[in-house]
Amino acid sequence: MTRFCQGDSRAFDALFQRYARPIHGYLARLTGSPAAAEDLSQQTFLSMVRGRGRFQEGARVKPWLYAIATNAARDWQRRKRPEDLTDEGELPTSVAVEEPGPRDAGLERAVQRALEQLPEGQRIPIVLHRFEGMGFAEIAESMGLTESAVKVRAHRGYARLRELLATLREETNG
Amino acid sequence: MSPECSRVLDALGQPLPPELAAHVASCAECRALVEGFDALEPVEAPAMKVAVPARALEELAAHPTPTPWWREVLMLMGAYVGLTALGALALTPLGLMLNSAPPGVVAGLALLVLLAMVGGAVVALAPMRRMAWGLVGTCTAVVALSVVLGGSGLAVKGFLAGAIGCMRTHMLLSALPLLSALVMLRRSAYHPARAVAAGLSAGAVGLLLLHVHCPDGSAAHLAASHVGPWLLLGGLALLVRSRLPTDNHTP
Repeated sequence: MTRFCQGDSRAFDALFQRYARPIHGYLARLTGSPAAAEDLSQQTFLSMVRGRGRFQEGARVKPWLYAIATNAARDWQRRKRPEDLTDEGELPTSVAVEEPGPRDAGLERAVQRALEQLPEGQRIPIVLHRFEGMGFAEIAESMGLTESAVKVRAHRGYARLRELLATLREETNG
Repeated sequence: MSPECSRVLDALGQPLPPELAAHVASCAECRALVEGFDALEPVEAPAMKVAVPARALEELAAHPTPTPWWREVLMLMGAYVGLTALGALALTPLGLMLNSAPPGVVAGLALLVLLAMVGGAVVALAPMRRMAWGLVGTCTAVVALSVVLGGSGLAVKGFLAGAIGCMRTHMLLSALPLLSALVMLRRSAYHPARAVAAGLSAGAVGLLLLHVHCPDGSAAHLAASHVGPWLLLGGLALLVRSRLPTDNHTP
């Protein structure tokens, strides 16, 4: 990161190779749109270059990069047409186009529907934790929250997911 | 959430040690947590090819040296100083220092407003991850109350005539500083607290000049015509910034 901050394009390349796919996948999960994810990935790395003077020495790259990606997705959400948002005015969480063949299409859909129903404040920590493999300290750094606040959100989010999944299963079976 | 619940969260995805497994068995919330976690099997991101962002490489080649964030604060402060000087020049023919409160009070309040100007610019542009709404709110309340309570008590004009004149002057003096702040704000991710801080910081230019220039020191006039528009500028900055595109999504 230090070499990148000094303008070394090979260092940028190394960062891009390492994070491009995960960031693209994360953005696809957040936006539900492969086209938007592609565009937002480009914006994320462009912002990383433009804003590298804002990177604080000693900070971790991954949470910083995911914070940029989350901000880019939120900005996209703010400028999006209202009909493309969820009922709560938040980012939809659809990954149907991006995912490989589902293990169980019904379960997959139920999980996605349950995730969609979570408030964004709970969904982002869960996506970062479960799908991006980030620890709570990293998520806290990325979201600008305390670690305990992130844990409370994730705890509530996972518990709520289970309730939502139970309800969805009942609906499916009923 | 108990310390055990927190440890269960940390251990998700790994085999739970016996004491945590026993806790999960006895804690309904943790059972729900573990079941919720298990329901979400991580899906491997598809093998997609993400194009190398050409614009990012061009940008890197064009600007190999990064711009530190504090340089943007200095640029904004420079704009504020220049615009304050212009405003002072414009007010000089009418009399720049007409506040009849004791000089110590006038100077002290001017310093407080200056601090709000600088502090607001720093909060708006610094790469802070945790946005301190509490800090912004407390500082705003302190400045607002100090300005209202630190007046001379002298009512010079009728309330409405005085209010219209001062509000108009306030808005004219603060328009360009607000524009400068909004331009700078687009260079980092949108956050409501940043936008409000920037608006208040820009509005401090008008507040400072009115503070020294306006002879009307009644609390009602100061609240409605000096502090009111200042607060309004904070809200206006939030409204406008939320509709502006962002150049750079870094926190």
